[in-house]
Amino acid sequence: MTLSGYEALFFWIFGLAAIFAGLLTVMARNAVHSALFLISSLVSVAALFVLARAEFIAGVQILVYVGGVMVLFLFVIMLVNVSAEERGREEIFNNQRQVGAALVFCLLLIGGVLYSVNPGAQGLQALHPTTPELAAAQQATRDQSLPTSATGTSKITKATEVLAAALYRYGALPFEIASVLLLVAIIGSVMLARTLRQEASADDVDPETLKEEMTRDPQLAKLEPRSE
Amino acid sequence: MLNFFSPTLALWFQEGQRTWFQQMGHAAANPDLSKFLVIGALLFIIGVAGVLTRRNIIVIFMSIELILNAANLNFIAFSRYLYETGSTNALAGQIFAVFVIVVAAAEAAIGLGIVIALYRNKDTIWVDEIDLLKW
Repeated sequence: MTLSGYEALFFWIFGLAAIFAGLLTVMARNAVHSALFLISSLVSVAALFVLARAEFIAGVQILVYVGGVMVLFLFVIMLVNVSAEERGREEIFNNQRQVGAALVFCLLLIGGVLYSVNPGAQGLQALHPTTPELAAAQQATRDQSLPTSATGTSKITKATEVLAAALYRYGALPFEIASVLLLVAIIGSVMLARTLRQEASADDVDPETLKEEMTRDPQLAKLEPRSE
Repeated sequence: MLNFFSPTLALWFQEGQRTWFQQMGHAAANPDLSKFLVIGALLFIIGVAGVLTRRNIIVIFMSIELILNAANLNFIAFSRYLYETGSTNALAGQIFAVFVIVVAAAEAAIGLGIVIALYRNKDTIWVDEIDLLKW
């Protein structure tokens, strides 16, 4: 797998953008800025997915992460972070032990990457010897066999079709398990986020517990009439 | 020393035909699998540093998302590499990436639900103030 030409240029642009946005995610003082930098990092990684010819995963990344998860993050920041923002005392990188542990981990990982990636790449090169020119020629012949789009300007890839066939043929059971997992996550997060007041108004609390809580919070009594 | 960390670089220094900058330029103009892996590793390292150093629990969750994304990048890069070498089950990497995204979404939903419950009960999102289980 070797990129060349404009693909190489865009690879470096989006790769560096992903890394810098990731760094700024960790270093930003404000959680909202962190979320926005994380969004740009995720979009850059999606562009890298496109360069690796995984168009479907790139689309899922944008839709699920940027459209779903990050909006959830921003909502929670909005719900939770207001008073913390007012206190304005977020000090980052000042706990010596934390920073020391992080530095040790980073140096170990960087050393491991430097030590392993180059010999590993050499081994792969020995296993499947291709030059960039040969890889580009192979890619061109693969693209040649694809159908042309109606406008005649580009080729239509079958990557997503092939991926769907493989997903439902070899990954059907994990797919169903994933749907059950998502259902459990929905129910669990609703349960976690509900307040006693919301539970009381839906008549979903043990009467003993409700009586006990009402001594502490008289507001709860007003919500009760629906049950009787 | 250089040979220990990077045999490729050491080889480039020994070779006489092309200068070091020409070799680096050639490698940069044709990024291969290892460059994808390096970017994935750097994103992973940034995420680990964020988890270890930050005190805001929401930013810690964001760093975890960064780590999962780095893993996804490796899956996709290896999937592409295996596809080009003619492997029969090269798409397993992409399928696994889909499941990683699903699990990340479930984790974010549950985690943020816990954050809201925590804020309601303990009135804080700073992890060093949530020390009920600290020994």
